[in-house]
Amino acid sequence: MRPVKLLFAAALAVLVALGATAVATAQSDDQEKVVLTVGVQGSVFDSMSPLVGQTAFDYDVWNNQYETVTRKSAADFATTPGLAESWEASNNGKTYTYHLRDGLKWSDGKPLTAKDIAFTINRGREESWLNYESWVANLTAKVIDDRTVEITSSVPDPKLPGLGDIYILPEHIWGKYDADEISKYPGEDGVGSGPFVLDEFKRGQYVRLKSNPNYWEGVRPIDEIVFRIFNNPDAMVAALEKGEIDAAHNVPSQAMEKLSTSDSIVAVQGNQGGFDEIAINGGDGLKKPHPALLDRNVRVAIAHAIDKQTLVDRVYLGQGSVEEAISPSADPAWVPEIPADEQFAYDPEKAKQILDDAGYTDTDGDGVREMPGGGEPLEFSYYVRSESEVAPPVAEFVSGWLAEIGIKLELKPISADELITVIGKGDYDMFHWSWTPYVDPDAQLSYFQCNQIASDPADPTNYYNDANYCDPEYDKLYNQQKVELDHDKRLEMVHEMLRRWHQSAVYQVFALTPDLQAYRTDRFAGWLHQPADVGPVIFSNTSPTYRNLTVAASSSSGGGGMSTGAIIALVAVAIAGVALIVYFVRRRSTAGERE
Amino acid sequence: MSSIAVSPRSIAWQRRRRALAQAWAQYRRHLPGMIGLGVLVVIVAMALLAPVISNHDELRAVNTVDNPTWATPSEFPPLGTDNLGRSVWAQFVWGARISLLVGLAATLIAIVIGSVVGIAAGFYRGVGSAVLMRLTEWFLVIPFLPLAIVLAAILGPSVRNIILVIGITSWPSTARLVRAQVLTLKERLYVERSRALGASNRHLIGRHIFPNVSPIILANLTLTVPIAILSETTLAFLGLGDPTRASWGKMLDEAFRAGALSRNAWWYFLPPGLGIMAVVIAFTLIGSALEEILDPRLRERRK
Repeated sequence: MRPVKLLFAAALAVLVALGATAVATAQSDDQEKVVLTVGVQGSVFDSMSPLVGQTAFDYDVWNNQYETVTRKSAADFATTPGLAESWEASNNGKTYTYHLRDGLKWSDGKPLTAKDIAFTINRGREESWLNYESWVANLTAKVIDDRTVEITSSVPDPKLPGLGDIYILPEHIWGKYDADEISKYPGEDGVGSGPFVLDEFKRGQYVRLKSNPNYWEGVRPIDEIVFRIFNNPDAMVAALEKGEIDAAHNVPSQAMEKLSTSDSIVAVQGNQGGFDEIAINGGDGLKKPHPALLDRNVRVAIAHAIDKQTLVDRVYLGQGSVEEAISPSADPAWVPEIPADEQFAYDPEKAKQILDDAGYTDTDGDGVREMPGGGEPLEFSYYVRSESEVAPPVAEFVSGWLAEIGIKLELKPISADELITVIGKGDYDMFHWSWTPYVDPDAQLSYFQCNQIASDPADPTNYYNDANYCDPEYDKLYNQQKVELDHDKRLEMVHEMLRRWHQSAVYQVFALTPDLQAYRTDRFAGWLHQPADVGPVIFSNTSPTYRNLTVAASSSSGGGGMSTGAIIALVAVAIAGVALIVYFVRRRSTAGERE
Repeated sequence: MSSIAVSPRSIAWQRRRRALAQAWAQYRRHLPGMIGLGVLVVIVAMALLAPVISNHDELRAVNTVDNPTWATPSEFPPLGTDNLGRSVWAQFVWGARISLLVGLAATLIAIVIGSVVGIAAGFYRGVGSAVLMRLTEWFLVIPFLPLAIVLAAILGPSVRNIILVIGITSWPSTARLVRAQVLTLKERLYVERSRALGASNRHLIGRHIFPNVSPIILANLTLTVPIAILSETTLAFLGLGDPTRASWGKMLDEAFRAGALSRNAWWYFLPPGLGIMAVVIAFTLIGSALEEILDPRLRERRK
């Protein structure tokens, strides 16, 4: 017995020693790097390519990786110098000459010149890159010299001289691909001009950015930014409270109050014009929806059956405001006032009346209406984004209300990145999602044009019109407002086109919803709201927070709780101690036998 | 005996009734078995009486917009409300129906497939039998959860599909058990004698093999139900259950998503958790009691 026990004790001691060393090395690695960790929920990163990525999360990667010619200020989105330090207008404001800063470099050391800007704008226009189209459609860039670029718009453009939404790409990387290849290129090369560039993207797990050594404003005090994906909101909130993450996006509404009482955590209700809608397949895409949904009467009946106020009160816990129309901008002035008689107020009786009048009656008595003259029942598929905290309860309410007017919903749970493909294929009847608009309404408005409907079955994510609904009159108004320099006239046109869209009832906007975020103040300082005071601090329009953050003066690695490694080491030591005591006790008790 | 003419059939029935009465007498003396039975009776009664003891309307959030949300059991008896103001009691009671239905129906499918495959593979020799056993082994080594998840995702979330998925993934152990028993049975003298007298395979299976493996099937049935119920809970918790019907698994899923754990809203996640535990333990107790009573070898060992 004895030698074996000794061996056991020795093995245990070795293990403990090994564990302690491992913990020590892991900790010293941590201390060398300053890491900002941001918690997000679910598989929300779609693509790292600024040409085709669609979720608001992708944008924060690009906001960090790609500097723009001009920037948008954190306070009010005003145009401020970016890659260009100055510019002047000519040709009645249709041409601008931009002067770039001296010594600009990509993160891989290659020089950043006017050629990269011309490459991005000209190829983006010629090849109609999905995310660039609305910004560059009328622009032509001409290289004057390495540090000067002349940009001409073929039409008056209210957005100029601002170029703050055009991520400038390195020609020496992206120029290798032709028109077909470039929109399929995943963009995970990590070469950029912004403060941080992509280090690693693990779909469904994390995105890691690293500091750009050649950043023109100087290397940032943070070495790495990690977007960590959580699959449960509670786990994310707990990680924030423990200090495992420094900021969290899409914080559950019921956790906001609790978080705001903490000394080192600030909870943010960030308003930037984001809205939630229930979209219906309008049938102009690759696949038709249920035939009943092609009838506007049915869509209007659905709109009348949804109680928006209850959704805001019950699901969003009052953090949001009821809305009828699309909000195309962070500036609420662009949201049209829908006249009372055009609003789809909650009125289930009216909804039933509309369906009855249009001939959709329940002929077989199962509580679900059928198509006029019998036949196919009104059963629609409704996709529920499973990582969203609000989507399942919204689905619970909507399916309940529609059941009351004789429409059955088949609820289908799905992840955000999968849903993008399903919508592109037109393989759905309804879904609930949300949009975060830009500042200038143009981009958000451009998404609902006919040419933004997915048309290539082989490339089903190359689209923006997720209602699959085409209204030529809307397109006409869109092209008019795009070149209207008179702000008031443009405002009127935008309101007109959004009223039209609202009346089609394919897009049932129900609320303006703030981004619920929270961040810790003990490790980093310099969190910026965009726009000032009311906006979110991360995942905002251009997210200036990241490059502004500094390591907080009070920060020390021992500030938070004990690290996991330390706990493991303590447990190991405790086990070893107990084992030793047991060993000696047993030794004493069996001493009589042995001697 | 009495003067009434006694047919062979009535003798057989008398014998069977006697055996059943004897088994019941033995079962009654089996304390864990009786506890399991008692718990099960209570839960089944609750599920059957669901429309009487709870309000079906309170299952849907659209009907409970006037209820407080996250009400504790004392504020909203008997079990409080969830994040949307729905009654937890109503969900618990109606959820018992779905959980039991799925558990029993899936078990029935599994047992039928398992018994047929097991008897066929054990009784017949040759290629067919070998193929059946390889198929059983194939199903046995496939990890259950991934297979069930893939099937549920392809078939779509509905109660019927969940039953199918669980049924067709949990039969192999029954098949192997039944086959092993059939292999020993068919070598018994009375089977050989019957065969020598010219009995057909159908007669042999119907008269000798099946009656003798049925106790094993019955005991296995009660042991498969808890596994099926746990599988339903797992699938529902992973969001693959029927999203329109309350079940205990769905309650746990929704409680977890709504943040009931961090709110300490124990009244939301404890009832379904305890309910599942009670049903699983009840069936397990009944199953092992039946096994002991129906299998003479186990009975003797116990004494």
